[in-house]
Amino acid sequence: MASFSDRFSDGLTVVAEKVDDNKYLNSLKNSFSYFLPFILVGSFASLLRSLVSSQETGLARWLPALANLDGAFTAMNFATMSFMTIPIVILLGWQLAKRNDTPTHATAILCVAAYVTVVPQSVQALLEDGADGGTAAGLGEGALGAQGLFIGIIWTVVITELFRRLSGIEALRIKMPDSVPPAITQSFNSLIPVFLILTFSAVFGVLFRLATGSYLNEWVYAVLQHPLEVIFQSTAGIILMAVFAQLFWFLGIHGGLVISPIRNPLFATAIAANIAAVNAGAEPTQPLTYGFWVTFIVLGGAGGILGLTIVGALMSKQEDLKMISRLGFVPAVCGISEPLVFGVPLVLNPIYAIPFVFNTGISAAIAMVAMNLGFIQANTVDVPFGVPVFINGFIGFGWQGVVVQAIILIATTLMWVPFVAIDDRRATRESQDQGAAAPTDSKEAVSA
Amino acid sequence: MTDQTPQTGGTADQGEPTLRIMLACALGMSTSILVQRMKDAAASQGKHYRIWAADQASIESELGNFDVVLLGPQVRHVLRKVRAVVGDSAPVEVIDARAYGRGDGATVIAQAEALTKGE
Repeated sequence: MASFSDRFSDGLTVVAEKVDDNKYLNSLKNSFSYFLPFILVGSFASLLRSLVSSQETGLARWLPALANLDGAFTAMNFATMSFMTIPIVILLGWQLAKRNDTPTHATAILCVAAYVTVVPQSVQALLEDGADGGTAAGLGEGALGAQGLFIGIIWTVVITELFRRLSGIEALRIKMPDSVPPAITQSFNSLIPVFLILTFSAVFGVLFRLATGSYLNEWVYAVLQHPLEVIFQSTAGIILMAVFAQLFWFLGIHGGLVISPIRNPLFATAIAANIAAVNAGAEPTQPLTYGFWVTFIVLGGAGGILGLTIVGALMSKQEDLKMISRLGFVPAVCGISEPLVFGVPLVLNPIYAIPFVFNTGISAAIAMVAMNLGFIQANTVDVPFGVPVFINGFIGFGWQGVVVQAIILIATTLMWVPFVAIDDRRATRESQDQGAAAPTDSKEAVSA
Repeated sequence: MTDQTPQTGGTADQGEPTLRIMLACALGMSTSILVQRMKDAAASQGKHYRIWAADQASIESELGNFDVVLLGPQVRHVLRKVRAVVGDSAPVEVIDARAYGRGDGATVIAQAEALTKGE
C-alpha cells in the first residue's frame, strides 16, 4: 500500500494531466475561476430582490418604499449574469495572450472587438403600446449573456490564434526608431495584425449571415450550445458527469477540477438562464448549476464521505478509522473530502470503491427525482463552495433543499455501512494473522 | 491531536522566518487544514517557519515568496507544470498522501525540510 502513489501512471491520470496541460482548457478553467465570484454575487442579487424589494415575498410588503430598489438589484444581476460573455471573452483572451506571448491588453480588447463584429449590433425597439419601433443601435442579451458564451469562447480562440500567428510575422511590424518608447513601439507593432484580424472577423460575419441567414452567435447557440445544454441538463447526463468526476477522485485526483473546463461554462449558462426565466415571470428550467453541484452532488464532500465519517466514528471497530473519521468530520460538513480520501485511504481502495464512486451518482439521482416531482425548483441563488451542509441547501433551495439534503445524507450514509463492516472484518483478520506471527499491531504493519 | 498551547513558544514573530513553506491545492481549502497542524508542529519544535496555503493557480504570483512548494495529492497531475513554472527557484513535491489525510503536521514539516536540503 505504501507505494500506491507510484501506481498513478494510469489512464485517467494521463487524461487529468492532458486536460490541465491543454492551453485552451486550462485558460478556460482559469477564466471561469476568476469570474465565479461575479456569478455568485449576481445570483445573490436575485436573493436580495426576493428578500427586500419584492412586494410579494420581501420586506417591501411592509415598507413599500423598498420596492424602488428593485431596479438596483436587477441592474446588479444584469451587470454580472446577463453580461457575462463580455468579461469571459476578456478574461479568456487575456489568459491565452499570456500563454501565446502576445500583448495582453491588445489581445483582450481585440477579442471583444472581434466578437462584437460577428453579433447583431442593433436591437429591436418596442414602443410602449407594443408596436414595432424599428431598430436601435445596441447589443442584445443574446450576444451579451449566457447564450453568446459558446461562440464567445470559440471566437476568442480563433482570434487569439490568428493574432499569435500574425504577430510573429516580421514583415507586418511597423519599424520605429530606437528612440521611441517600447510601449508605443508595441502598439504600432500590433496595428497591422489588429487591422487584418478585425477585417477578417467582420467580413466573415457578413458572409456567414449571407450563407446561413442568421448571425454567427444565433447559429452556434441553436446548432451547438443548446443541444449540449439539453444533454448535460438531462438526469442521465448529470449522473454520468457526477460519476465521471468521482472516478478521478478514486485515483486521488480532484475530479471537479479536471472536468471544470466543460462543467463550469454549463453551470454559468444554467444559472443565468434560470434567473432570466424568473425575471421574465417563467419557471427556471436548468437543474445543473454550481449551487446544485455543491449542495446535492458533493454534499458533505465528494463521494458522500460525510456519511463515512459518521459510520466510521460510531460503528467501526478500527481505532485508525475512528480517528480519521473524527478528524474528517468538520471538513466534510464543509464539503472537503481530502482527509478521508487520503487518510483512510479511499484512493484505489477496492473495499470502498462502490460507495465512493457511486454515492455521487446516487445523490444526483435523488436530487433530480425531487426536482422532477416539483418538490425543489431549479435554483436562481448560487452557493459558494465551503458553506456547511444544510445552510447551503437552505440558501440555494429553501427548506425543501434541506429536506432533500437530509434524504441524500441518510442514503449515502447507509451505503457505507456494509463496506465499513467488511473493512472491520478484514482488519480483525489481519491483526489475528499478525498476532499469530509477531506481536505487532496493524498500524505498524501498514507502514513497515 | 496536539495538546501543547501555541503561546508557549517565546520566539514567534521575531525576525524573518527561517523557512517559508507554501502548500497548494485546488482552492487552498483542504491544505489550509494541514497548515494549522504544521504550524503547531513547528511551534512545538521551537521553529520559526512561515507556512500558508494557496490555490494552485496563484503559485506563479507567489514566486520568490517561498522556499519550497508542497502540492496536495489531489492536484498531483499539475506537478510537472508547477515544476516548470517554479524552475530552480524552489523544490516542488507532492505531499505524502497518508500524512496529508491524517493531518500529520510533523511529517510534512520533515518532508519540507528534507526537500530544501536537496534530499
